[in-house]
Formats: sequence, structure tokens, C-alpha cells
Amino acid sequence: MISQVVVLSLRGDTIISRNYRDDVPKNTAETFFRKVRFWGAETEGRSGESAPPVFNSDGVNYYHIKTAGLFFVAMAKTNAPPSLILELIQRVAAVIKDYCGTLSEDVIRKNFILVYELLDELIDFGYGQNTSTEYLKSYIFNEPLTVTTVAAPGKSASIFAPNTRSAAAATSKSVVEKPKKGVTRDEIFVDIVEKVSVTFNASGYLLTSAIDGSIKMKSYLSGNPDIRVALNEDLAVGSTENSPFAGDYGKGGGVSLLLDDCNFHSCARLKDFDADRTITLTPPDGEFVLMNYRTTHEFKPPFKIYTAVEEVAPYVAELVIKVRAEFPASKNGSNVVLKMPLPKATTRASCHIGPGQTGQTTEWKESTKEIQWSFKKISGGSDHALRVKLTLSEERVPNIKREMGPVSLSFTIAMYNVSRLVVRYLQILNKEKGYNPYRWVRYVTQSSSYISRI
Amino acid sequence: MSDGKFFTTTKKGEIADLKEELHSLDKAKKKDAVKKVIAAMTVGKDVSMLFPDVVNCTQTDNLEMKKLVYLYLINYAKTQPDIAIMAVNTFVKDSQDPNPLIRALAVRTMGCIRVDKITEYLCDPLQKCLKDDDPYVRKTSAICVAKLFDISPEIVEDRGFLDNLKDMLSDSNPMVVANAVAALAEIQDNSTKPVFQITSHTLYKLMAALNECTEWGQVFILDSLVKYEARDARDAESIVERVTPRLQHANCAVVLSSVKVILAQMDVITNTELIRTLCKKMAPPLVTLLSAEPEIQYVALRNINLIIQKWQNILTNDIKVFFCKYNDPVYVKTEKLEIMIKLASERNIDQVLLEFKEYATEVDVDFVRKAVRAIGRCAIALERSAEACINVLLELIQTKVNYVVQEAICVIKDIFRRYPNTYETIIATLCENLDTLDEPEAKAAMIWIIGEYAERIDNADELLETFLETFLDESTLVQLQLLTATVKLFLKRPTEGPQQMIQMVLNQATQETDNPDLRDRAYIYWRLLSTDPEAAKDVVLAEKPTISDDSNQLDADLLHELLQNIGTLASVYHKPPDAFVSRARVAVTRGEDLEEDPLGSGEEGEASDMADPTVAAAAPPAAETPAPAVAAVTDLMGDLMAPAAPSALAPVPAAAPAADPLGDLLGLDVSAAPAPVPMPVAAADPFALMDQSQPAAAQPKPILLDASKAQGLEIRGVLAREGGVVFWDLDFSNQSQSQLSGFQVQFNSNAFGFTPKPNGLADLVVPPGGSASAKLHMMPGGAPATALTNMLQVAIKNAQQPVWYFTPTIAVEQCFTEEGLLDRDAFLGMWKSLPDVNERTQMFPAANVPSVDTFTLKMRAHNVYFMAQRPVPGTNQIVTYWSSKLPQAVLLLEMTLQVGVPGVKCCIKSANPDYAPLAFMAVEKLLASATN
Repeated sequence: MISQVVVLSLRGDTIISRNYRDDVPKNTAETFFRKVRFWGAETEGRSGESAPPVFNSDGVNYYHIKTAGLFFVAMAKTNAPPSLILELIQRVAAVIKDYCGTLSEDVIRKNFILVYELLDELIDFGYGQNTSTEYLKSYIFNEPLTVTTVAAPGKSASIFAPNTRSAAAATSKSVVEKPKKGVTRDEIFVDIVEKVSVTFNASGYLLTSAIDGSIKMKSYLSGNPDIRVALNEDLAVGSTENSPFAGDYGKGGGVSLLLDDCNFHSCARLKDFDADRTITLTPPDGEFVLMNYRTTHEFKPPFKIYTAVEEVAPYVAELVIKVRAEFPASKNGSNVVLKMPLPKATTRASCHIGPGQTGQTTEWKESTKEIQWSFKKISGGSDHALRVKLTLSEERVPNIKREMGPVSLSFTIAMYNVSRLVVRYLQILNKEKGYNPYRWVRYVTQSSSYISRI
Repeated sequence: MSDGKFFTTTKKGEIADLKEELHSLDKAKKKDAVKKVIAAMTVGKDVSMLFPDVVNCTQTDNLEMKKLVYLYLINYAKTQPDIAIMAVNTFVKDSQDPNPLIRALAVRTMGCIRVDKITEYLCDPLQKCLKDDDPYVRKTSAICVAKLFDISPEIVEDRGFLDNLKDMLSDSNPMVVANAVAALAEIQDNSTKPVFQITSHTLYKLMAALNECTEWGQVFILDSLVKYEARDARDAESIVERVTPRLQHANCAVVLSSVKVILAQMDVITNTELIRTLCKKMAPPLVTLLSAEPEIQYVALRNINLIIQKWQNILTNDIKVFFCKYNDPVYVKTEKLEIMIKLASERNIDQVLLEFKEYATEVDVDFVRKAVRAIGRCAIALERSAEACINVLLELIQTKVNYVVQEAICVIKDIFRRYPNTYETIIATLCENLDTLDEPEAKAAMIWIIGEYAERIDNADELLETFLETFLDESTLVQLQLLTATVKLFLKRPTEGPQQMIQMVLNQATQETDNPDLRDRAYIYWRLLSTDPEAAKDVVLAEKPTISDDSNQLDADLLHELLQNIGTLASVYHKPPDAFVSRARVAVTRGEDLEEDPLGSGEEGEASDMADPTVAAAAPPAAETPAPAVAAVTDLMGDLMAPAAPSALAPVPAAAPAADPLGDLLGLDVSAAPAPVPMPVAAADPFALMDQSQPAAAQPKPILLDASKAQGLEIRGVLAREGGVVFWDLDFSNQSQSQLSGFQVQFNSNAFGFTPKPNGLADLVVPPGGSASAKLHMMPGGAPATALTNMLQVAIKNAQQPVWYFTPTIAVEQCFTEEGLLDRDAFLGMWKSLPDVNERTQMFPAANVPSVDTFTLKMRAHNVYFMAQRPVPGTNQIVTYWSSKLPQAVLLLEMTLQVGVPGVKCCIKSANPDYAPLAFMAVEKLLASATN
């Protein structure tokens, strides 16, 4: 099991180091950092980035995740399961975040005593103990010192629309923080986050599409009351008898929301799920994922991308890219960035944005031979076009299309989800009348791998 | 105010200040001081001198403070065991505190302090806490037993803690059960005795706890269930039934451990319908793991790779989910490729090929190459889809992207191997790209194709010729392929052009390169071609066995073992746990065994590892790692040396079928100089002036192997003869840091057929900085080399160093045997029977024999026997006759000389006159010694 847990900055400074067994050498943190930093450098001539999350060096096994600009690293000498250890250090990071409100190098440095106290409680002799934030409250005595100036404002909150920004900021408060000025604010956040992966072929035909969704919750309800979450009634899980939730429910025609698979947090009570698609739970403190789901069934991709390439003259080619936002006009896409690699023979690319299109920028990166087209905002239903003139160093580039692309698009659409999964209602059970805490239900769709091939 | 400020105190006198603050009466100030100490500790500063002051703070009711002090204690107790004992009372007191948190904290901390004296005091509190009313204290105590076992297994046994743990499996609190399982499993791992065996009774209890405990506890329990052997199919079915709901857990580790348990029970379950259902149930959760963070995805993919090797149909319908995403990290993409290849079938190959083709245009060169390889591997695995694969490869070749073309050619070669004589029509396309090839592997592949299909490629000779122009500049891989391809061409088309090419290639390969593999292969071909071209055809053009794609395919036993280890590191590394877990431990060992601690005392190990008897009793881990390296060297040695001496001790590798012929091969080119020696030659001719009558005892023997060239190993030596045996009298001196032993020695074939006595140097041990002597007997009777020189190529190795080569000269005068003594009639008969062609003559103008009698004695000492003497009429000269024998030839000598006057003419007659030149060398030396 785990011999040591270390938290490192991306520069390699050891911020936290907790030894659970005295069986690894002293310099493991350095060894780890050197390995990760120069991974593949000797053999493949490239470095960094690609170190697998689990590797062995001199008899010590290193497990790591990278989050919030930090490495969380565990070391072990035995055949300790990486699935368990990676999940565990991920949880360690999450618990620290729950306690301190946010997670950053600064936060950990400021709260190092608390972090040590947490590490002692979360892991004993390398074995994961109870990691629920709720449970830990009775065993942790240090109080978190929140860092007031949280990174760049809007950076963490920006995935949600401006009107809920205050709510997003609220989620970065500590779960154990004492209410300020005696004002208690009971609230609960439910975020339905969907990550969309889509691949179009050159003619715009959908090759693969998938949604990885999750329902995240963060509860600040005092007294931890039971709540009930109701999802779409027409929800069906598993198209065949594969899924234990398949049941007969929703099979009688009119099924409109099909999931391939889903799983739940251990606090979820599912006795009514088959009957009416409701989940009852006692939300633990802190952030947790109530449900993960996944579907490869058809859905309407939020963006369509068209490209056309033509070699108009020797040494010159012309590229046209069109993007159409296929979601309701009331919604907006933000942080939309389109990237496309151009042929190696390209020496210059001049971009011309269509008339009347504002809030857009283009960039030609010569070193990577890539163009980037960024939008401040895209409203649903709108069309955008970009014309790019390519100057080539060769008279003709054979297979010019082969050397280009694929087009990749990254975006965030707030208050919209492609699967149409909804939280029909969120009911707080067993509470006296008049108790009406804030219930924030937010939807967001993000790109995971959104690709159009040329 | 924040804890961060504690990091900022770096002023001088800091320690003194801290000391003062630690003794402050103000509790807040005291706490701050401890925090400062911990901060200093974290950044690596040594604050151990504050130990007594910090220990002083243990007497507090404040839990926060207590935790801080204990954190410090854990860190420094090792270095200050005597003061640490001061804290014992507090621990013992705390373990009886009314507050369960404090009781648990005391037990947890004591277990972390690996100091013998503290451990002694731990047992009683632990015993109590194991039966504590509070589950938090019990679950902490359960883990503490594992800690104690790590420090002292015998205490755990003697005090019966194992039974306590087993009782805990029935605890009402699931967290306690889970920790007891974890502790027992760890103890079992490190013990040879059966400690933790799940019976049907405990099984029931574990199953009950499984549904209640934390996700980590679920993993501990599930992992322990894997080892449970179900009594029958029904038993297995009931386990599976209870575990299946766990597949729905959001935690990847729980899912994988559940899959592991289910797969293990599937071996027992007989109901095929149920197995089918289980396969279907496992698929969606496995796929869902791919929605997690990339780190988890990687672990999941490595495991899925294993699972589908046994249960391929689990995921065949889900191949699409393994298509690479644009933003997947490389390590995820690579694993997905691997799985796509394994799941590819005739049904989905079109889709898969489309993907691969797309990947082959991506930016990451390494990934592109892997994608191209993947197409080839699909072609090899799926016979009916091979053509489709080849078409995609051809399309890729048309892109003319250099590395794509080269990779494609490499895989097409494999496809040709797999489906001989099926797809040669595409060779023309391949040939168009000849000039773009600049990577050795691609070149070698193309050359192989040309050679293999030489009869179908009209201009095969021209193509090869272009490569041959740069033969000497090519890498070995290409050279070897060129050599073979040219031979194939020649055998298929024995016309003038190819003949010239083969001549050139063989000459260059044997004479102008210094790669022994290449040279040897060229010699073999040469010999084959010159003795029996038909045999050469049988060898070179033989039908090759069909290949299959076995890359990344595991053998059944290993796969079985890995499937039992799903979720663990072994499943990610695809290696059995023994291969990377070095802490192999043995059962409880008693104190007396510790006396024989084979490890000696380590530096930092003293306090921790050495206090741990299990480590001491285990096989020293250090010895494990070098072992393969030694084996590898031995193999290398075998490869290098076996040809010369099949009887030698070095393992004869399969790769040396040329064992016997090598002797001939070295002399194949009869007129040529001695075979080139690849390694630097250490000594030139150390024996030239040596003579047995001038024993070298007083002066050091000539250097054979120079210490500066052999990592500090120096070998000096002379060849001597005693009691009818020829031997090297060798002095070894070792200027390196390590002891040298396990010497092995080999000779290349030589004129006298000498081989070293097997294990002749086996007992030799040369201490670091010391020296040792040995006599290495030269055993006659080996096949002599055809090129007769007095050079001896020697390879010597030991267990610590690589192989060293040196080439001393053989002092021929030591090699005459006692059997050289003939009676006069035999001599006369032989002399007369030998025709003039068997006669060689040499003049030694400087030689001067002062006295025939002394000379006769000298000659006799070297087994050259005086036969007769007659005066030459009309002169002062005399003619002397001598008989002698080298191991391979009887030599009759006639020397004409005048006593006291320089100038000796020597004439040698022998049935084997090739040895005459060697004998002349001996005669010259013997004459020279007579002159003095």
C-alpha cells in the first residue's frame, strides 16, 4: 500500500510530504519530478506531458495525478492497485478543496497543518480510511484559512453564465467555514455537466458521438436533510438487457432519452429509480458526484463545421471554414476556439472574417502551422465564416487535404445540455414548513473532443 | 493570519527562539511554536535538536496541539530513540483517555514510531484498544496490528494479535471489518504461513460488510475475495450475485475489483447462459471507466486489454468507444490502439481502418507510426481483411510522407512473410519509394522484399546494386539484409552480374567490416556457396514458417495470473508482481536468525529496516536485481565463444549452429591474413624472448591484458610446459573496487587445437586491489585452425566485468610434445618417404651454436630430440638431424651449421609441412638462446 504521499508544485517544489511507511528512499520526490519532466526524452526525443500516471523507478512505484497546477503523488513498494490509489489521491485533493474552498499551491501552503491533519485521517499506514468530508468534520480540528483573492476572477466561474456567477463563487467557499456575521445561507448546488465528443467526417457526416455527463452536487444545507432528485421520466438506461436499471420502464415506446450506462455515488438510494426515476439521498458535505452517465445515442451536435479547400493558383490555396451554432437562440456559446493545422508547406496564412462578424479574433501560428479562430461569444442559430488564404512554399501540395486538419473546436455552452437530461425537481424532505433554501440547478455543455476531419 | 507565515522564519537564532517559545506558558504561543517547528521540518530543515522541548508539549489536552506534537514525534523518534522514550508515558496515558479520538490517536501514532523501546510499550494499549467500545478506536487498532507486524512479526504472533484481527471480521462496524481485512491481507502477503483464509463462514460476514463500508473498504474486501475458492458452481453464483451491484459504483477501483472477483468465479460457474449475462453486465461499467480522468482511463485500458485477451466477446460491440479522441494524452491513445487491434474483426475492420488512416495523418510522429503498425498487425491477424489493410497502406504510401512510407514498408514486409506469394503485385509501388528510405529498418525491410522476390522483380539486381554502393556505410541491420538478399538473388539468378555482386559483398563483409555477426554470416554463405550451391539453396531459400501477430500477446499462464491481479500494478505493467515487488518477505523469523543478517548494516537502514527482522531474513533485494544482468553476460559469452569450443562450459546458445565450422571459416580465405580481431589487441608478442631456462619468477611476466583497457583487471603471463602439459602461468591483479570471480576463458581456434581446460579458472578469485595467480592448462585435441599462426585469440570474462579480448602469441617452443622422440630407423624411413614438396628450408644467418652438446640439451628440454650428426665433406660444417612433434604434425629437422660460426641452415620435412613455419619460429628462439 501507499508508502508516501507528496504534493509538488509544477516546478517541482515539495509542498507536502507525508511518509506512511519508512520503506522508500528520501529523494523520491526529486526522482519523481525528474522522471516526469524528462519522460520520453531519452528514447523518443520528446519530453514532458506524456508520462503515464503509473510507473516504476528503482523499485518504487509512482502514482500521480495533475490537478490545479499541482502534482499529487503517491509512492508504493508493493503491487498496490493503481485504480485505488489514483482514486484515493484524487479524493485527497477533493477533500482539501472541500475544506479550503479552492485548491492551489497557495492554499495548500497556507493550510499545510490542516493538510497534514487531513492526510493523517484520510490515510493510515497507506490504507484509505473514511474520506467523506462530512465524516471528517468530527475528527479534524484545524480550521481552514481561505485565500481571499482566488486566482483570476471569472476563470473558475466562467463556465456558468454571468447571472449565476455569484452562485459559482459561492461554491468556492469552504464546507466548514463558519458563517460570517451570523448570516447562514442554506443552499445546494446541482450542476449537470456534459462533455461532448463528436467526430464528423469530411462530408459533415457524424462518425462518432458521445456524451459523458455527470450530476455534481455541493450541499451547504444545515442539518443534512434528505433530498429527492427527479430526473426525466422518459429516461432509459441501456438499450438491451445489459443494464440492471433497464427494467421495463420506458420501453413502451416514446423513449426519448437513452443512456448507455450510469453509476451513482454511494449515498444514492435507488429504490424508486426504476419506478419513477427519482433518487433519494442524504447529501454529504462537500462536493460529490451524484451520478455519472454516458450515452452514444443520437443527439444534435451543438455545432456544425464545414470546410472547403481549393488550390486557386500555384503556391496559393484557399480555405473556407464555416461554423453554425445549432442550439436555441436564447443560449450562448462562450470560450469558443477553433483550431486547425495547415500543411507544412504553408508559409503564410491570412484570415478574413466574414462581414458583420464581431467579437472574433484569428491567429496564425507559424511555429506550429496552425490557425486559431476565437469567438468571445456565439449565439445559438448563428452562422460564421472564415476565409483563409494560404501561401505555400511548393507549387502544388499533393494531397493538400491530408496534411490539413482535423478542425477541433472547444466551447462551453451555459444553461444548455445536449442530452436533454433534466432535474425535474429537487425536493427537500422532512423539513418544517417555510424552510426554503436556495436550490441552484445549472446546466453546462462542454467540448471534450469535438473534431471535424478534412 | 495564516499558517503560511510559519515558513518565513529563517532568521538566525531561530532555534533558540523556538526553544523559548515552546516553553512558553501562553498556550497560543506554544502552539504557534510547534507549527513553526513543523513548517521547518516540512521544508527539510533539521529541527531534531528541539526534540526534548517538543516532547515536553505532549502533556496537553488540546487535540490540535497533540496531533502536531505527534506528527513531529513520528518524524524524529528514529533519530532520538532515547528521548522518544520520554513520550511513552503520554502515549500509554492517552490510550486510556476517555476521549476515543485521543485513544485512537495514541495507538495510531505509536504504531508509526519504529523504535524498539516504544514498540514494547505498545502491546498492552493495543490489546485493549482492539476491544475498545468505539469503532473508530477499533478500526485504528486493526491497522496498527499491521504496523506492528511490519516492525516485529514475532510480537504479533506471540501476543495473539492475529486472532484479534480474525475476530474483528465479525465486528458490527463495517469500517472495522474492512481494516481488519486490509491488515490480514497485508500480513498474509508477507508471511509464508496461512494467516488469512476465507471460509464460507467469514465469506458471509465479508459480504455483509461489503454493502456498508466505504469505497476503499469495499476494495479491500473484494480483493480478498479473489482468493476465495468457491466450493461449487452454486457457491460461485451466489458470490457473483452479491458482487454484481458493485459494478455500478462510481469508483473505478471498486468496479475493477468487482470485475476481478466476477472473472475469477466465472472459471467455476458452469451455467453458460449466466456467463453470457455476466459478460454483458460487465461491459457497460468497463466502458464507463473511459469517461473518467485520463489517469483512470489509462489504468482501465490496461486492464481491459487483459480482459479481452481471455473474454474477447465482452467488448467486441463497443469498439467505437475505443476510438482515440483528439485530446487524449499519448499514453491513452497508445492503449486504445492496442485494444482496437485486439477487437478488430472482419465485421468492423472497415471502420477501424478508417480510424487508423485518420490517425496516420496526425501530428505526433510516434503515434502516426503506431497507427501504421496497427494496420499491418490487423492485416496479419485477419486473413480475409488483409487486402483491405494493404490498400490502406498503399494509400498512405501515396502521401509520400517520409516516416509514413517507411513505417508502411516495414509492416508490408511482415505481411509478405505472413502471406507469401500473394501480394507481390504491389512491389512496383514500393520500389518507387526506394530513394526516400533513410531509416535502417525500412531499408532492411525493402531489401528483404527485393531479395525474397528477386525472380519477379526484373531489375532486382540494379535495385540491390544501388544499395550495395554504400554497403560499408550502412547500419548492421541493412548490411545483413543486403548480404542475404544478394545471396538470394545470386541463387535465383546465377548469372554474371549477381555473381560479381556476391563476390563484392562477400569480400567487403569479410574483410572490410569489423562486425563479427556480419563477417560470420558472410563466411557461412561463402563456404556454403563454394562447397555446395544446392545446399545453399536449401538453406537460404528454405520455406519460412508463417508468422503471426504475437506482439503484446501474453501467454496463458501469465494472463491467468494477471487476471487475478486486475486493478493492481501488475495489471498495468502486464508483469507478474514478483517482477517488480522487491520486498519479498518470509514468515516470522526468530531473533537468533537475525544474527546471521546477510546484509551487513546499512546506513540509514539501521533504525528502520534493520530493526525489521523480516527484511533481514528476506533474500537480499540487492542480489535480485543484478542477477539478470549476470545471466545476460553469460549468454553473451556463450554467443561469442561457443563456436570455438563446443565442449566448453559456457552455455552453447542455439544461435551458434556454426560451432564447428567457425574454425574453418576463419581460415576460409586461405591466402588471407589472420582473421581480423574486433577488439583491441592488448599485447603484441610477449613471449618472443622468453625462455624456460630463464625463469621469469624474479621479474614480472609480460602484460597480456592492460589494466587501463580492462577496468582495472591486469593479466600477465607466460606459456610454460611441465610434466607433459602446456599451461599459461598467469598472474591476475585487480585494480578495480570490486572482487572479481567466476572467471571463464575461451580460445578461438588456433594452430595447435588448444582449448582451455574446462573450468580452469573457476576457483580464481581476485580481491579488489589484490592479485592472484593461476595455471591455465591448455588441452590439446581441439580442431586446429586452418590458418596457422602463432597467434592465440583469447576471451576472458568474469562475473563482474564484460568480456575482455587479447591476443598473445603462442611460444611454439613450448608446444613440442614428448612423443617427438623417434628411433633412428623410424626417422630414417620417414625422412626418405617424404617427397621434396614436403620440405621447407630457412636460413638463420645470425645464429651461432657454440657447442653441439649444450645445444642438444637445450633442444631436448623442449622436446626436440637429437638423432644423428655427420660432417659435411670438405667443410667444417656438420649436419645434425632432430625429431620433434607438434600436436598436429611430426617434424623432422636437418640443421647444417659450423660450431662457433654464425649461420645455420634449417630444413624441415613433415607430412604436414604447413607447420614448418611455426617450427622455424621455435628453432630461431632456441638457436638464439644457444648463442648466448
